[in-house]
Parts: sequence; C-alpha cells; structure tokens
Amino acid sequence: MLSIRSAGKQYGKVRALDDVSFDLEDGRVLAIVGANGAGKSTLIKIIAGLMRFEGDVAVDGVDVRRHGKAARRHIGYLAQHPAFHLDMTVQETVQFFSQLRGAEAGEARSAVLAVGLEPHATKLVGALSGGMRQRLGLAVAQLGSPSLFVLDEPGTGLDVSARLELRDFIRAQRSAGKSVLLSTHWLEDVPSTADDVLVLDQGRVVFHGPSVEFAAASTARSRLFLRLNGHTPDAIPLVADAARGEVTQTGEWISVTCLTSDKVRVLEALVAAGIGLLDFRVEEATAATAPPVLRERVPS
Amino acid sequence: MTATMTIFSKELKDAVRGRWLVAFAVTFALVALALSLVQQQGGVGAQGFSRTTASLINLCLLLVPLLALILGASAIAGERDRGTLATLLAQPLSSTELVLGKYLGLTVAVWAAVMLGFGVAGFLVALVSPVTDLGHYLLFVMLSAALASAMLSIGVLISVVAGGRSQALALAVLTWFLLVLFYNLVAIGVALSIASSGEMLLAGTLLNPVEAVRILAILSLEPDLQVLGPLGSYLYLEFGAVTSALILAGSVLTWTAVPLVGAVALFRRQDA
Repeated sequence: MLSIRSAGKQYGKVRALDDVSFDLEDGRVLAIVGANGAGKSTLIKIIAGLMRFEGDVAVDGVDVRRHGKAARRHIGYLAQHPAFHLDMTVQETVQFFSQLRGAEAGEARSAVLAVGLEPHATKLVGALSGGMRQRLGLAVAQLGSPSLFVLDEPGTGLDVSARLELRDFIRAQRSAGKSVLLSTHWLEDVPSTADDVLVLDQGRVVFHGPSVEFAAASTARSRLFLRLNGHTPDAIPLVADAARGEVTQTGEWISVTCLTSDKVRVLEALVAAGIGLLDFRVEEATAATAPPVLRERVPS
Repeated sequence: MTATMTIFSKELKDAVRGRWLVAFAVTFALVALALSLVQQQGGVGAQGFSRTTASLINLCLLLVPLLALILGASAIAGERDRGTLATLLAQPLSSTELVLGKYLGLTVAVWAAVMLGFGVAGFLVALVSPVTDLGHYLLFVMLSAALASAMLSIGVLISVVAGGRSQALALAVLTWFLLVLFYNLVAIGVALSIASSGEMLLAGTLLNPVEAVRILAILSLEPDLQVLGPLGSYLYLEFGAVTSALILAGSVLTWTAVPLVGAVALFRRQDA
C-alpha cells in the first residue's frame, strides 16, 4: 500500500508539487492525470526515491525518505524513457538488475520470458527499438516481485498492440493483488486501466476519485467556438439552453463547453431559429483542459 | 551479493569489455620496456630495475593521474548523461553504495592495468638483466596504484559536482593540468619567493597528491636534494626520510578518503 501525506517539491521559485496527499490500496490501479508541467513526473520520482521532497511517503509502511533502499524493494519503477547500458545484452541487463534487486535465481529469465523478449535475449540494448526497451523496463520492474508498480507515462511511444499488452500487464498485476500507479495524458486509456484517478494541476490535486466519475466529468466534453451571421445576442440564450453550459462572447465568436453528445443539439437549435453559421471550431477535452472542468469535484 | 559488490563487479566487467584496461596495461608495459631498453643500451644494465624505476617515475606521474581523473570523472556524470543514473537509483541501492561500488571497481581496474603493465615489463626486464633493486620497482608500482586511488577519488568528486560528462571531463583535464604541470611551477615560485616559510613548503607538498607521491618515490630510491626539489628537500631536511615518508603517505591517504567522502555527501543531496 502506498501512503502519501503533504508531499511537496520546490524547484527554485517554482512550486512543482504542493500538499499532495492520498492512499493507494493493494490491488488498485491509480492513474495520475495532468497537463505537461502539472507535477506528474515529479510525484512519480518522489515515490521512486529519485528526489528529495517535503512531506511523508511510505510504501508498505516503509518510509521512502528514511529507508529509501528498503522502500524501493517494494517498488517496480518504469521511467518514461527507460535508459539502460547500451553495451549490455538484454539477458545481462536483466541479470544485473536482478542482482541489484536481490531477486531469486531464475527470476531474470522468467522476466525476459514474461515480456516476450526471449528471442532478443542476446541482443545488445543499443540494438533494441523503443518499444522493446519499454518491455525491458517492464521486465526489470518485475524483478524481486514488488508490491507497487510506478509507471511514468508507460504508453508513450508504444504502438497499439504494445499498448494493449501494457494494459494486460497492468490488469495482471491488479489481479495478483499488486498496486499500480501510472501517469498518463491519454485520457481514453484511463477508464479501461485505472480504478481511480488523481488529477494534478500546477502541482495541486484538483480531483481524486473513481475513474468512472472522472470519465463522465472530463472525457465526454467538448468546447464549441461559433461565429454567427449577425444574430449573436439572440443566439446566446439558445446555445446556453441547448448546451446546458455558460456561453462566453469574444468579438464575433461565442464559445460554450458542453457534453460531446450535446454538440449536435446546439447546432440544431441554431438552424431551427434561422441563425446561420459563418464558421465553427470544436476542441475535445484533454488532460490540459480537464482540471478546470473537474475543479469542483475535489474531495474535501 | 550486496549492491556495492554488484556495482563493483559491473565496473570491472565494463573495464574489460571497454578494452581500456588492456590498452593501458599494454601502454604501461611498452613504455617501461622501452625505457629499460634505453638504459641497457646506455651501458647501465647492471642496475636495470633501479634505473628503470627512476626513469618511470616522471612518466607515471603524468599518465596515471590523467587516466584516473578521466575515469573517475566519467563515473557518475556518464550515468547521468546516459539517463541510466535514475534507472540505477530507482533500485534498492543507496547513493553511497553506488558511489563506493563505482569507485572500488574503477580502483581495482586501474590497479590491474598498472600492475599488469609494469608487472609484465618487470618480468621481461628480469629476463635480460640481473635482478637488483626489485624492491624499489615493486614500491614504485605500489605508489602508482596509491596515486591512482587518490586521483580516482578526486575524479569521482568532479563527476558528482559536474553537470554532465563533457563538463566533468573538462574539469578533470583542468585538474590534471593544475596538479601535474602547473603546480610544480607555482611550487618552485613559492619556494623561491617565500623560502623562509616552512609551513608554506609543507602545505605545498601536502596539498598535491601527485607531488607527495613524487617525493615518496624519490625518497625510496635515493634522497638526492636536487632531484627532490624545493618541497621534498625541505621535508627531508626538516623531518628525515622516515617521518617524511609517513607524512607523505598520510597526505596521499587523506587525498584518497576526503574527496570520496565529499562526493558521497554531495551525491546524497542531489536529485537523480
């Protein structure tokens, strides 16, 4: 189990992480979501013991700051861009990390098998593709049978099949009663992989709750930008009603945030009222826009 | 196997895999042999080891610090540049274990290069000349190894302080230049201008491990005041050979321990 209390990190004048607290129970998957610079990687590096920090972080009751080495025995870490020594083979690499992690004999070979790298076991790491290095990272993370997996943007650079394999890996760990914490900006992956979601915005938690709530609140939203043929004052109440959202006007343009499924209703209402469109633009919700949407859903 | 031993073992394997260990061993051996042959042709074969040792001291004082500083400077900075430092530190491995494992691995690798090189050369010299003054030669090899340990320690400190590998290498070469080439000029200048200050001369000797090893090596051969130089002469005249040797050995030991402890302390405070 992972427990974080009032975790914070300051880079010079920038507050990268501020007063972050949450628990992750055994057998649960938590997705950390946020725009670039929101503090996702900082939080993950703090948990992995790669950064000094304020507050308290404990894995299975072991304090990461005071007993970092012991705590990291419980953590399998996968960096966003896993880096290994390029002049070692896959087998040598896994064997080396197996010794570092105090893994049992034979675990290195099993880990290579588990990620499908056995045909490449004698290849140098430098000759592996990005996807294969990601698999090697997963093999290393499994060594020593950690109870918590910490994965930093694990889907980055993976093709569709590799992402599906990653999803299977996460499910398998959850089934085995292990916890998984992963950061992502692929919002569509969240409902299928994570039980819970924690949204970071400028280093602060703006949402922490079940992934189904997160999905309902963020991924099905769109922002519509409309330029009308001179009937803007008449259109604003119509659009607000159809979109069930607040309409803002900037020059010739009006904009409204609505459920993705309500986009058509907005256009139908305008056409029915005889208001023609000169131009329009649609933005789907992303990790960058999700936090403001979720701001009111922060647990007290 | 402990984490330190795992890192130690990897460093040794890397040294063999990278072939630099063999390359330096061969270089040391060839240089030692070449110098010995020159001595033989000069008609001084009967004193093979003693002459060879004397000739090798200056060369050793140039090569060993350069090799050790560069290897030490690459130790942590290289991992940082490759991005592998975070991968390593995310394992059940403390910063102290990583630095110690790397330092010990590199030290043994450089010792192996020095001992292999000079050992093979010594063996070949022994085949063609009478074995006299073998003790001096062995002591010289040990002093080379001690110098390597101290310079590796300084190199590792540079590696921790530097932002990246290229910066670390630049600092290492600058340090080598200051300690090996520039220092003697400054030391002589200081000795000539402030000759009356014994403390300055003593400090001048102890503040540079290369100078300390140079004086130790000469003291072990023949304590000639002209060869010892101003700093060595002061020590020899003031304290005698044995006490001087102990002071100098203490200096080299301090230069081995202090930068390494400093490197560990600084590294523990850094984010990966």
